Amino acid sequence: MVLRVLRWSPGSRERLQKYWVRARQGMTVLDALVEVQRGTDPTLAFRYACRVGMCGSCGMVINGRERWACRTLLSRLERGPVTVRPLYHFSLIRDLVVDMEPIKRKMLESKAVFVPRRPAEDDEGFAAVSGRSRERRAVDGAIECIGCGMCVSACTMVAHDPRFPGPAALNRVFTLQRDSRDGAHAERGEALLAEDVLTRCHTQANCTAVCPMQLSPTDSILALRRRALLQLVGFRPR
Amino acid sequence: MRDRRVLKRRLGSAEAWRGTKAGMWAWLIQRLAALGLLAVIALHLHNPFVRPVQAAVLGLVLLHGLLGVRAILLDFGLPARAHRALFLLALLAALAGFVAFWRWRWY
Repeated sequence: MVLRVLRWSPGSRERLQKYWVRARQGMTVLDALVEVQRGTDPTLAFRYACRVGMCGSCGMVINGRERWACRTLLSRLERGPVTVRPLYHFSLIRDLVVDMEPIKRKMLESKAVFVPRRPAEDDEGFAAVSGRSRERRAVDGAIECIGCGMCVSACTMVAHDPRFPGPAALNRVFTLQRDSRDGAHAERGEALLAEDVLTRCHTQANCTAVCPMQLSPTDSILALRRRALLQLVGFRPR
Repeated sequence: MRDRRVLKRRLGSAEAWRGTKAGMWAWLIQRLAALGLLAVIALHLHNPFVRPVQAAVLGLVLLHGLLGVRAILLDFGLPARAHRALFLLALLAALAGFVAFWRWRWY
């Protein structure tokens, strides 16, 4: 089978380079890339770590759609050449490797960071939130984000508005806004009302469609919007 | 300073449209229907008795409106997992509404 891989390094123009790989049963896109790197072209750069669909570091755009290379079987893709590109909306470092800095920056900008309600010295051990509690169940579908960046790559609004925090950061904000141990709800709530935040999401659900953990950032953003609306009309959302 | 190169999907590239999902199509069709409405409403105001223009106004209003209802339902609490079904329902309702209204028209 033919792999068409985007090649780029600083100072050069990007191009799609073809590699021929002998496809075997059970072979993934990551297996094919490793085979190319070990055999044909040791200069090909890509990132991976766990190889078993846990860490999310091998997120790439495969045949036009964000997927993790280690869990994408060649046999499950459409017939014909397989095109592999790096994630969109991130700075390229080289070939398929991107700089994940926007994930961290957007998290910090949108205050998607836990702020303890009580000072550390008052803490009496861990503050547990029961798995059966309403608070915990409300964020069930949002707490397993592995920061792979695929949702940010799939989101068209991230491409058009650099101030939009994007699905990963807003998903994290949602979990914090529902966390009774967090003390920055009001501050974050104000920031969410800015023009380039919640209203920028157009509910295209691209983020939800590509999330390898089956999370739904779309639902998180919609829930934040409903809370913001309640806040605007004078209610105090739970 | 490092050479910064950020890739974005190119509208003109077929590959960028591969694997486009229902939510994206729903959004796109609603926006395109809005743009289409701007044109056909202008034509309709110029001469309201042209049948094809009447049909276009009716079809585009139904499409745009019902996809808007889909977005409102999602905004007000339907889970995002329902969005594909809502998209299909909106398309079917637009088709049914068009056929019913066009058959019923009294003039």
